[in-house]
Amino acid sequence: MTLGIDSHRMSSSRILLFLLLLIGISGEILQHRLLAASPKEIFTDITQEAEITWQQFGGESPDRFLIETMGGGVAFVDFDNDGMLDIFFVNGGETPRGKSPLPLSNALYRNLGNGKFENVAAKAGLDKLNFYGMGVAAADFDNDGYQDLYVTGYPASALYHNNRNGTFTNVTDKAGVKNAGKWAAGAAWFDYDRDGLLDLIVTNYAQFSFDDPKKCEVNGVRAYCAQTAYTGLPLTLYHNNGDGTFTDVSTRAGFDKLIGRGLGVVAIDVNDDGWPDLFIARDASPNLLLINKHDGTFEDVALEAEVAYDQNGAAKAGMGVDAGDVNGDGIPDFVLTNFNDQYHSLFLGSKSLAFSDHTSASHLASLTRLFVGWGAKFLDYDNDGNLDVMLVNGHINQVIESMRVDVKYKEPALLLRNNGAGVFDDMRELAGPAFRRSYVGRSLAIGDFDNDGDADAVFTTLNGPAVLLRNNVGQDSSWIGFSLQGTTSNRDAIGAKITVTSFGRTLTRWIAGGGSYLASHDRRVLVGLGPSAKPINVDIRWPGGIVQHLSGLQPRQYHRLVEPASPVSSKKP
Amino acid sequence: MLFAGLMFWHQGLLGQADSAQAHADLGIQLAQSGDLTSAENELRQAVKIEPNNPEFLSTLGTLLAMDKKLDESTAVFRKAVHLAPADFTSRRYLAANLWQLHSYGEAKHELETILREHPDDAHSRLLLGMVSENSGDYATAAKMLSSVPDEVAKQPESLAALALSYYRLHERTNARTTLQRLSSLNTLKATLLGGEIADQAGDYEEAEQLLNSISSSEANAPDVQFRRATVQYHAGHFAQCQATLQPLVSSPAATPQMYNRLGWCYHRLNKPKEATESFEHAIALTPADESNYVDLIKVLEAHNFLRVALDAANRAAALFPKSAAVFNLKGSVESRLLQFTDAVASYRHALQLDRTNANSILGLARAQASAGQTSDATSTFHTAIQRFPKDARIKVAYAEILLKQMETGDSDAKSRAEQLLRSAIAIDALNGEALYQLGNVELNDGRSEEALRHLEQAVKLLPQSSQPHFALARAYRRLKRSNDAEREMDLYNKLKASEPQRAESSGAGDDARN
Repeated sequence: MTLGIDSHRMSSSRILLFLLLLIGISGEILQHRLLAASPKEIFTDITQEAEITWQQFGGESPDRFLIETMGGGVAFVDFDNDGMLDIFFVNGGETPRGKSPLPLSNALYRNLGNGKFENVAAKAGLDKLNFYGMGVAAADFDNDGYQDLYVTGYPASALYHNNRNGTFTNVTDKAGVKNAGKWAAGAAWFDYDRDGLLDLIVTNYAQFSFDDPKKCEVNGVRAYCAQTAYTGLPLTLYHNNGDGTFTDVSTRAGFDKLIGRGLGVVAIDVNDDGWPDLFIARDASPNLLLINKHDGTFEDVALEAEVAYDQNGAAKAGMGVDAGDVNGDGIPDFVLTNFNDQYHSLFLGSKSLAFSDHTSASHLASLTRLFVGWGAKFLDYDNDGNLDVMLVNGHINQVIESMRVDVKYKEPALLLRNNGAGVFDDMRELAGPAFRRSYVGRSLAIGDFDNDGDADAVFTTLNGPAVLLRNNVGQDSSWIGFSLQGTTSNRDAIGAKITVTSFGRTLTRWIAGGGSYLASHDRRVLVGLGPSAKPINVDIRWPGGIVQHLSGLQPRQYHRLVEPASPVSSKKP
Repeated sequence: MLFAGLMFWHQGLLGQADSAQAHADLGIQLAQSGDLTSAENELRQAVKIEPNNPEFLSTLGTLLAMDKKLDESTAVFRKAVHLAPADFTSRRYLAANLWQLHSYGEAKHELETILREHPDDAHSRLLLGMVSENSGDYATAAKMLSSVPDEVAKQPESLAALALSYYRLHERTNARTTLQRLSSLNTLKATLLGGEIADQAGDYEEAEQLLNSISSSEANAPDVQFRRATVQYHAGHFAQCQATLQPLVSSPAATPQMYNRLGWCYHRLNKPKEATESFEHAIALTPADESNYVDLIKVLEAHNFLRVALDAANRAAALFPKSAAVFNLKGSVESRLLQFTDAVASYRHALQLDRTNANSILGLARAQASAGQTSDATSTFHTAIQRFPKDARIKVAYAEILLKQMETGDSDAKSRAEQLLRSAIAIDALNGEALYQLGNVELNDGRSEEALRHLEQAVKLLPQSSQPHFALARAYRRLKRSNDAEREMDLYNKLKASEPQRAESSGAGDDARN
């Protein structure tokens, strides 16, 4: 390299000084240029600065109870109605020989609005569970305007009524939703009979007892038994009576015959008949696609729809599930997380209820082959109008690396960008350091906790800390948000279908019940609008059936919409 | 005294004339007296002096054959026949040697040469019958042996060969009549041989009848009882087999073979604990015999006692480090336990011990693929296909791996897999797995009619396997044949429910979640 300097005329120390200066300056310039050229990291892990310190405890023990590996629910929920999403974490619990050195508690992190959170679980009366905790479903079951919480677990679950003063009351016994004796996992609120009251679906995993440790080994080391060592259970469906009580209508609904290891659940109107249906992800049991028959019963069409089994007739290890329209045809599609070598699945819906397995074509097969998936949620992280997907992974078996060279115990979370046709790219390199680290991930919730118009995320890890991710890129595109309030419909408007027309595209979104794994999400709807800054039109089909058309809605803000008494067409400033 | 006399006579002959003929004569006389070694020496001397004398050569060949020096005898006879092609006695002896050396084709050629010239030569017909039976030409065997009934009747082995030939030709009545002739020889050996032949041919009723015809004084002999148990086992009468063997293994006459057979009876009676104990007894009686270990591991694996099977396999592997069979089984159990890295090592070792074993290389390729060693697996599959081009299983297994790769984005994998599956079907049109996989590929490709054809064949070939029924139900559904789809789905569900579940909690069939 020629520096253009006659080095013979300079002393060696001066040459050295000169070179250091030159390298320093050029390095700084280079760094500046690189920073200017490189895009922002999509998500930043702000767990520490948000002062979220809670850690999940699974009760890992020499007995290797499978339940130790499966917990860690999380919810984005605005429990105090201050307009900012708070976060509720469900802890697992101790097992007979898996004791915690510290007192165990759930966490309710109140959003202080300054990027920090404060754990108020004890004050709220939510810190302790008298059972082994799994997941959470948040909703306003009594239509009083405040979010209540249903926490699943073993051998009981619990309903916490929001007292509207920052505290909760355990109303499980009065409400009749204890789900006693069962190992409950997922739960979702939805109004299956469209009476304006949210009902509750609970997925039960398997027959289980701490008195019956299963014995399995790998290379002579005690390991967790496969799920098939545990006999599955039927689903539980609670009908909301509207007086603070519920009735177990599982048998009447036909759910008592649907025995299997249920985990993820999402409630959405699959056949567009205005009635909410259910997709249940089950672990080595065939998945269920339960079509609402409008009479309190459901018909499982998963087999005919080709979403029950893989092509060899094997039931995959379905963990999490979410619904959304990934290819812009206005029909719900489903993403499911499965075990390594099974690939996480993507099923594209059609008007005929026949789903096509888009797993390979979407790249999901190649991107997820090595991972055991749990949380799964569609989100439009860059607000370009296409639903992307975030997936949280982590293995069960600590000694897997002694058996496989390619599969790891800790696995990365995935952020996959949709090209609009349901084909995904791995955004790991751009998504931020949090996506280049590995975790034993479990539950995943999505919500806009900083109200800046883009989807943030939080996920839990087994026996480890949670991870809170702030979205840095969504604001770069236009967006519109909706906060729906039902009047004749359930107040949370779960079951509403929202169709946004903008920049020549029609984007369909639903307020679904459940979704992901053991999780609950921002109940608001966020729609990415890409480059469009123009006012937009929206059609809302409320859960009760009323259709509302609104035009001229301004982007880049959340709109609070109240269900009209009758079908209306209105212009909103 | 006799020996001294012979020596005197020997010295006298040599003294008379040191000629080839004298050595030959002396050799024959020595042979007649039973001194084969000296006889052979004399004949060698004779041949040394007159190397092209076919008579001396033939005599030497005979002596060598009597002394079980078959290779040298054969070479000598070849020379004799070459020098005297018309000497059909030498040619017949040559054929007999070749038969004993399992050179059936050459033996047959020599005998046919004789029979062209001497079609009624009974010994040659008998010998050709035996050679043909051994080489699987049962029609010729039956024709030749039945044409010389007197010769055949003299030797139980010939009757046995004739009976077996009839069985193979599905002439059961003739076979049974022949076995009755065998039995009428009234020797225990002949009757046992008859029973063995009937057992081998799957005529268990006749086999039991023959064994029952053994006189009461001999019927309780352990060997007879063991043979009876063997027939009962083959006939599927496992409880009877167990009942027959139980007193035997409790007696001083117990043998490792009896314990081994009892182990298999218990296995088939679904009594794995008792089966295991029987094999362990067999092992204790003959610890150096790997076959009892192999059977023990097989039975444990079949009952899904995988951890115990692995313990047994590890024990056997330490004792028999050069047994490919043991390491193959070890690899199989490790694969079932999802310990793929270990399985790779076991199969690799088995393959080093026996390169000709297709199971080892197939197991290795599968284990490598399961262990995530994709490029190694691919390379092993290529080697396997080169080494065993007619083994359809390898092609099907490789196709399965390729189809997995296709799902993760390898766009060429599908056509390669389809090619392999079609090639496997060309080798073995009754390979249900290949037909099923091909049907599934076609089904996923939207070629429902083609898929239907292959899947219907697959279901016929694999009626007890749930997967083809599931795929066929999908095909019917796509073709709007709902009733057929429902029927196949019912079958699928029934079969699926009866399949053993992974990861039983007993601590025996104990798959971990991997």
